[in-house]
Amino acid sequence: MSFQRPHTTQPSPHAPQNQSQSQPFHPQHPQAQPFPGHPQQPNPQGIPHQGTVLTGRGLVKYYGDVVGLAGVDVTVQAGEALAVMGPSGNGKTTLLHVLAGILTPDQGEVWLGGERVDQLGDAARTVLRRRRLGFVFQDNQLLAELPADENVALPLMVDGVSRREAIGRARNMLAQVGLSAEVSRRPGELSGGQAQRVAIARALVGEPQAVFADEPTGALDAATGAQVIDLLVGAATHRGAAVVVVTHDDAVAARCHRVVRIVDGRVSER
Amino acid sequence: MNPMTDLGLRFVRRPGPGGRAANLAALGATAIVALLVSFLIAGSLGLTHRSDRIGWRNTDDGEPKTAVGAVNEVHDMVAGEPVNRVDLAINNPKRDGELPPPPGLSHAPKPGEVFVSPELAKRWSEDLRTRYKLEQPTGIISDAGLSSPDELIVIRGVAKDSPGVAQSDHPRYLDTWRGNAMDSRMAMLLALVAFGIALVLFPLLSLVGQAAGVAAKRREHRLAALRLAGATRRQVLWLSAVEQAVLGFLGAIAGLIGYVVLSPLIARIPLGGGRWYLHDLTPSWWVTLIVLVAVPVLSVISALIGLGRVSITPLGVVRGQTRKSTSALRLVLLVIGPIMLAVLGTGGAVLPLVIGIGIAALAVRVVGPWAVQVIGKFLARTAKGPVVLLAGRRLADDPKGAFRPVAALVLSGFVTGFLALFMPYGLTQDGKDVSFQLYTNQGQTAVVAEDARKRLSEAGFKGEVTTGDQSVSISVSTTERERLRTVLYDVVPSQVPLTDAERDKQDAGVFMDMRLGVALLLGLVFVTGAASTAAGAVGTALDQAAPAKALRRSGVPLQVIERSARLAAVVPVVAVGLPVVGFGALCGLALSGGQVVTRGSSGVILLLGQVVVGVVLVAVAGAAGAPVLRKASAG
Ligand SMILES: Nc1ncnc2c1ncn2[C@@H]1O[C@H](COP(=O)(O)OP(=O)(O)O)[C@@H](O)[C@H]1O
Ligand SMILES: [Mg+2]
Repeated sequence: MSFQRPHTTQPSPHAPQNQSQSQPFHPQHPQAQPFPGHPQQPNPQGIPHQGTVLTGRGLVKYYGDVVGLAGVDVTVQAGEALAVMGPSGNGKTTLLHVLAGILTPDQGEVWLGGERVDQLGDAARTVLRRRRLGFVFQDNQLLAELPADENVALPLMVDGVSRREAIGRARNMLAQVGLSAEVSRRPGELSGGQAQRVAIARALVGEPQAVFADEPTGALDAATGAQVIDLLVGAATHRGAAVVVVTHDDAVAARCHRVVRIVDGRVSER
Repeated sequence: MNPMTDLGLRFVRRPGPGGRAANLAALGATAIVALLVSFLIAGSLGLTHRSDRIGWRNTDDGEPKTAVGAVNEVHDMVAGEPVNRVDLAINNPKRDGELPPPPGLSHAPKPGEVFVSPELAKRWSEDLRTRYKLEQPTGIISDAGLSSPDELIVIRGVAKDSPGVAQSDHPRYLDTWRGNAMDSRMAMLLALVAFGIALVLFPLLSLVGQAAGVAAKRREHRLAALRLAGATRRQVLWLSAVEQAVLGFLGAIAGLIGYVVLSPLIARIPLGGGRWYLHDLTPSWWVTLIVLVAVPVLSVISALIGLGRVSITPLGVVRGQTRKSTSALRLVLLVIGPIMLAVLGTGGAVLPLVIGIGIAALAVRVVGPWAVQVIGKFLARTAKGPVVLLAGRRLADDPKGAFRPVAALVLSGFVTGFLALFMPYGLTQDGKDVSFQLYTNQGQTAVVAEDARKRLSEAGFKGEVTTGDQSVSISVSTTERERLRTVLYDVVPSQVPLTDAERDKQDAGVFMDMRLGVALLLGLVFVTGAASTAAGAVGTALDQAAPAKALRRSGVPLQVIERSARLAAVVPVVAVGLPVVGFGALCGLALSGGQVVTRGSSGVILLLGQVVVGVVLVAVAGAAGAPVLRKASAG
């Protein structure tokens, strides 16, 4: 197995780390400045570097006879956004699901912040996803009956956070994604881009260590997609979270710090 | 074959992920509709068949001169069981020996001849021999003259001027054996059926719509894909119609088969004086045809109306912004429908009752969703956890949809709440069982008493005979009561000696009919409510499949959504149903002047039973969405 060689394709934004989280976030524009500290690799003893949040090592996943992943190594640093690209049906979603504990790998290891998580049971992975990870999907992820703030607050409330606090944090988060005026609107009353920003707020409201997004701009037009991805990458990395974005859109990948290509279930060296 | 037809049929066979469950739910709901419709139609036709065979016994439409016969009905008792004795004087005005016999009899009975039902023939005894002065019955009444195989009946030929049928005694005169008068018991049961139809007609119709909607939901994204592939809107609608027609037809067949399979069991329900002849309940070819055509047609129409509300564009299904409001047409139908049924089905006899129910139904339909919305908002506002929050928001978001499945249940709760405290028919069965009471004309008591004493002493009975103003009582402190009755038979002409308790027993059948009928009615309402709740739950599960999938991936356990779905199903029954039951009880109290009219606790037990069964059923049915949600949100 070989560690992948990440390559930065486009100018990437610098991700400011560890700023005060109570400040409203202002989306940043990409700057022509290379992301520092790449490539980063886990050390040979298997303990990720201090800045490394997420590590996948030798990941293999089968769907019956179909090979989903054929041995993938990947690391993501705190505050770093990684774009996963590649042709359709080649294992991008599978990789994301394995890294995020939605699927368990058939071989290989997944480490989250110095803790091995791929061997956890279903219940423990559910809690892990809720407490330590955040998710954004392509569309249809908000409950139609709930207004935006309650959609964002729901995972917190499931976790036992009091309603008052959960709603407060949700509104604060919605303000940071520029939706202060829309907190009481239901998904049906939001545009596609706004709905994705609500989803981003929901992904971030639990202060996750890593945020996973599968084609988050797939249902949006290019301009809206660019705004949404900037917001996601900016807001997440701003908080020091690692970000993994699956996309087939070069413009989206360009707004991340680093890109890996997955072809036939492997990291492509091309 | 039209390629779209072909594709539609293919989609029925391969419905795609989660589609099988949705199709099954749609099919099951349609089957239940077909089953209940078959039951209602075939059951009411069965009642009319029964009535046709025995209606002549209480027809009174002829003139003494021209009537074919004069009838007097007498309550008799055999071995402690009530027997119906029909004294029949044949008139035969044309004196043409060709007079057709009454239904089920081999010939028109001459005076002194006695025809009995098979069940009574089994009980033929020394007492009956003496009472009817016949060694053996003249003949057995065939099925064509009986309402039920259990019937205990005697048809006795009497002379035209004998007591009871003489003109001065005002017997019933009939012009033909096949008059159109209904048997009173069957008429009452038909009224109950009309009542039942008034309760469940709209729930059933909306169940068809729900079933179609459930199947259609699963279809929407596929339709969008077809539009993307270049299919026109017309073609897409045609495809849906084909698919839904197949599902509706299969559901109708399943329901009919279910009804036919269940009908031997249904025939055992001792309604209207005994078990049913199976052939009375067997759906005729045209009932079969109506069900097989009407159910699929209705479900296709519902599906197309449902799809008509959304515009299927190549980019997906865009739901119209306007929530459908209750159309005036529906309201009119709601009022007109049951009235028409009442008029057509029962000749208008129960019109006021059905109109009353119609208005109550209307009120419940208007007030119910509003109350659900208020409760939903309250729950959402005060919720501390995610389950209550989600349930409350769902109720507030679509109160009509949430209330629809339980509307009939709530309405029936009003009726039982009413009946629990107010049953105006004097259901008391507290007659004494100590002495035969004979009723006589003024001044005849002494003669009757004298005759009775003579008969008693001749037969060796020691009975106390006392006279009242117009009555004679004879104490029955003996183990040989039937022999005593035989001894005293016809001491007052055309009156059988009965105790007050025995007279009550003659009426008990009617009250049992009412109780059974109400129980059946509630069963009907429960099944409809449960099926509707289940279909609604499956529909909601399909609606929530995508966000539920996202939430599951984000680490929110599915149970949160499942529990909120169950809560949302139960809240309308409990929060609206219970107050409505209370309101019904209040109305009952108001009508009875503030006192509990029903004796004993039967009404209250019925009410409590209904509330418990209703809530449990809805909770269970509300969980029907869970497996669908689990499947559709997996991965
Ligand atoms: N649940 C599944 N069952 C069977 N095969 C699957 C499943 N999910 C994905 N696959 C297969 O695994 C391969 C990779 O899929 P996926 O990771 O979804 O690709 P991508 O996201 O790059 O389009 C594909 O060949 C796909 O058909
Ligand atoms: Mg994918």
